[in-house]
Amino acid sequence: MKLGKPLAALMAGALAFGLAGCGSGGTTSTPTTTAAGTQTATASAPVTLTMSGWSLKTTPEFQTLVDAYKKVAPNVTITLKEYDPNTYEQLMLTDMTGGQAPDIITIKQAKYTWQWATGNALMDVSDVVAGLSKDVTGAASYAVNGKNYGVPYRQDSWLLFYNKDLFDAAGVAVPDGKWTWDTYASTAKDLTTKLAAAGKTALGTYEHSWQSTLQGFANAQKGDNTNPAGPYMTGNYTYMQPYYDRALDLQNSGAQVAYGDISTNKLTYQAQFGKQSTAMMLMGSWYIATLVSQQTSGDADKFTWGMAPAPQVDSSTVSTPVTFGDPTGMGINAKIDPSKLQAAKDFLAFVASEDAAKALAGIGITPSTSSDAVTAAVFATAGMPSDALSKTAYQVHKTMPENPSGADVMNISTVLGAAHTAIMSGSADATSELATASQKVKDKDW
Amino acid sequence: MSHRVGKAILYVLLVVFSAFLLVPFFWMIMSSLKQNLDVFSVPIRWIPKVFQWHNYVDVWTKADMGTWLKNTLLLSTIVTILQVLTGSFAAYGFSRVRFPGRDALFLAYVATIAVPWQAYMIPQFILMTRLGLTGKWLWPIIILQTFGAFGVFLMKQFFETIPEELSESARLDGLSEYGIWRRIMLPLSGPALASLALLTFVNTWNDYMGPLIYLRDRANFTIQVGLKTFQADPQGSSLDALLFTGSVLSVLPIAVIFLFGQRFFIEGIATSGLKG
Amino acid sequence: MSTTTPAPVRQTAHRAHKLRRRNTALGWSFIAPNFIGFAVITLVPIILMFYMAFTDWNALGTPHWTGLANFQRLARNSTFRAAVAQTFYYAIPHIILTGVIALALAILLNQKIRGVAFFRAAAFFPYITSIVAIAIVWNLLFSPKYGPVNQFLTWIGVAHPPGWTVSSTWAMPALIIVGTWREMGYYMILFLAGLQTIPRELYEAAKVDGASGWRRFLHITWPGLRPTTFFVTVMLAIQSFKVFDLIQVMTEGGPGTSTYVISFFIFQKSIGVSSNAPGTGEFGYASAASLILFFICLTFTILQFIVNQQSDLRKPRWTPVPLALGLVAFALAVASFASGYSLGLGYLGYLALFVVCFGFLMIHVRILRRRQQ
Repeated sequence: MKLGKPLAALMAGALAFGLAGCGSGGTTSTPTTTAAGTQTATASAPVTLTMSGWSLKTTPEFQTLVDAYKKVAPNVTITLKEYDPNTYEQLMLTDMTGGQAPDIITIKQAKYTWQWATGNALMDVSDVVAGLSKDVTGAASYAVNGKNYGVPYRQDSWLLFYNKDLFDAAGVAVPDGKWTWDTYASTAKDLTTKLAAAGKTALGTYEHSWQSTLQGFANAQKGDNTNPAGPYMTGNYTYMQPYYDRALDLQNSGAQVAYGDISTNKLTYQAQFGKQSTAMMLMGSWYIATLVSQQTSGDADKFTWGMAPAPQVDSSTVSTPVTFGDPTGMGINAKIDPSKLQAAKDFLAFVASEDAAKALAGIGITPSTSSDAVTAAVFATAGMPSDALSKTAYQVHKTMPENPSGADVMNISTVLGAAHTAIMSGSADATSELATASQKVKDKDW
Repeated sequence: MSHRVGKAILYVLLVVFSAFLLVPFFWMIMSSLKQNLDVFSVPIRWIPKVFQWHNYVDVWTKADMGTWLKNTLLLSTIVTILQVLTGSFAAYGFSRVRFPGRDALFLAYVATIAVPWQAYMIPQFILMTRLGLTGKWLWPIIILQTFGAFGVFLMKQFFETIPEELSESARLDGLSEYGIWRRIMLPLSGPALASLALLTFVNTWNDYMGPLIYLRDRANFTIQVGLKTFQADPQGSSLDALLFTGSVLSVLPIAVIFLFGQRFFIEGIATSGLKG
Repeated sequence: MSTTTPAPVRQTAHRAHKLRRRNTALGWSFIAPNFIGFAVITLVPIILMFYMAFTDWNALGTPHWTGLANFQRLARNSTFRAAVAQTFYYAIPHIILTGVIALALAILLNQKIRGVAFFRAAAFFPYITSIVAIAIVWNLLFSPKYGPVNQFLTWIGVAHPPGWTVSSTWAMPALIIVGTWREMGYYMILFLAGLQTIPRELYEAAKVDGASGWRRFLHITWPGLRPTTFFVTVMLAIQSFKVFDLIQVMTEGGPGTSTYVISFFIFQKSIGVSSNAPGTGEFGYASAASLILFFICLTFTILQFIVNQQSDLRKPRWTPVPLALGLVAFALAVASFASGYSLGLGYLGYLALFVVCFGFLMIHVRILRRRQQ
């Protein structure tokens, strides 16, 4: 390595030119509109904060939160900075390195928290989290090494959506809230046969091609995925086997569209359920608002639908069904102007409050605080189902995070994602593919 | 007789081949006339049940299609002019002037093409920010797209096919090196300039990642970035039909430019009376 | 060759020195307008990236020097080894197919055919159509159960047609087909421009001599296209080895990791956002992988530079033979490493392809030599 040192010095020089201060820069980029130095007052001095969001036209939740907060704290003005939804994390990372990220950073996918927090891009907001009400769920998803870096404002969880009209046409009883996976599978097959007999082209169920559609349930119900010593983190994925066996059986028997057809025809779950190509579908609660708006706009067919709890492994958990779903939250840019920090923290406390929850529920969003009032507000929207089971399914469940937080989670999830496509496409059999994935995770082969 | 049959077969083959090349475009047009949730289905439906002609009105009224087109046209034109000018200028230096370090420098130019952009886009973004170039109208993308190795390399290769004797006699007539570039090399490189201009234009027109990262202000969106606003994240509702309506509209200008501009590929040196 | 050298032979050392200084200034004055922008915007970030390959940089924090740790990790990683093999698996057939078809198209569409403008536009259309639409349509065409491709194959009597993009064996061939289909028009444009530089008189003279079409191609077209062919093969090779967009929109590296290529690996270890491969933000590690991809491309580029110099007899040869042999050996070593690892048919297949590739280049050299004699 004789050549190494001068070369390294040269590179370090270039580095200093290019990246100097990228660890500390950015403090100058946020213009101070308040009287500098006054950190205390939230009451009087006007403060302007910036906040990230995406698809602002079709995603009203950001504006809703901003408007609701304006009523509580009229001196705080929050301006939204729009991002592309599908490359959000990439653009946010770029902005963070360039010192252009907004003051309040929406954490779209909780699994990026670890990367941003360990890179010192997010501020420790443990004090805000400590003051939150006990009804708030999902804060643990933003904890890294014992500190909190985000506050959840919404908490989606996966449910079983069903098309009541199609169930009626097939003459099959709608879900009763006590389903196990075996009931689900046999009903799907039953529906497929009877729908065909009734002259309908719809299939019994639809399982979207994402890895989370299958692995999310397996991880939540069997994977012990928040435990660092659990099978998800340590790499022992045999627990997914029954879930894959069932999915493969359903697609081979024709009760659901095959994975290969979903991926090659780029099927969207919104069209599959909204255009009545399936009688049932497991999906996250975000779909409630989308389905209601698409039925209103005419993009989706008009039909009666309902929600049921996610199927369970056995009857022991049907009273409080176990499902999964990641929260969406807000964090604070570590490079925020110190004079704005308190205002930002106050806003974070607000987004997880009962007031914010009601405002969000009014536009069909599932807030992180669940209560009877919130459920009532969600179901008050026109186009929502009115049956008792839908309300229970919406409100009562134990929601596990889809992924825990940690250094290796991204790589584990990539390994499992590859296993998912290999198994579902029929390129590899589940047993050997899951064994390979387990071995890769054990060896940290990434 | 057999000559005629051969020709007929050639035409049939060409037409079949062209049809095969235009299938995706046909699908795009058909999808642009569907309802949003009918774009993807199993089995494939090629022809819409009901033609949604209003999509072609909606794309103008419900989105900023006009702004996007204007920005993209402006961007592509500026980049193309700058790329052709600086690229052919540098190419003259590389192909006709001999100086120490020339070949190594040229190899460095070409070698940078081999580095994947994903790997250095973050250092590049930081650098652009430090230089104060981000967030200023279309400038970041103009700068990013103009100074590439592609144009230099392409023009150097073509300049090498132009006989030395022409420059030599021009030099005797008292032309400077810059004059030779302007009056001898450029006029004789018609097809090369035309193809460089076309390819640069198309690449800038269709570039997506660069504008996505550097052009954040809605007023500066290019068409490719604008079209992405029709796509929601997996949780929302995408406007798939409008996406393809916009895509069809974005392909048309290039197709027109190509159809009218393609004759430049066959004119140029071959007809300029050059004695090789 | 230097045009600025005055014809007289008498030159003092002083004058030569002065001339060289003048030429250097002149050369730089031409290059500077492009080079200044290029150096700042591209070269500096790339040099920074090369440095990052030896650090644990995560884009947000300060990089720490880790020596060769990233490279050792790459060598141990089964996904990366597979990605290297699959990059070659994609690139080599794709380079040959695209190059040959683009050249054939250019020659065909350089003739006086009625409606030639339309056919040229059609050939170029795949390149200007949005890549998203292309991915969708080809996926539809390849759809195992409902796709027209397999319906046709079944119709002509293939009992078990391939699964194409949903089969780990057939996904890569499907990508090669789509890649070739998409890019042939692009390189056709370059070949078309190159064909215009060949003087018509040469063809007319050859016709008078009664040379067949094939002989005219061999003795006039092919040698005359040399600068274009060089440009096309360099660009095509580099673009094929760093293929990314097509794979991201068509298969996202799947099924399994069967279409993971090096640049997809880089994407996944840096800024990836796709659902199957969320970005891990390990920019130092990704930079190390980029460095390896860079050297693979560079080897091929330098090889082509050498072949180009060898085949141009007007120029003095500057490449020492040992360097040329060393590079060939290195390229072969990388290729056989890749193929040795690869899926199923690998080893011999790659070797055969490689021999064909080099044989092709050598024949090219020999034809030119014979022509010059």
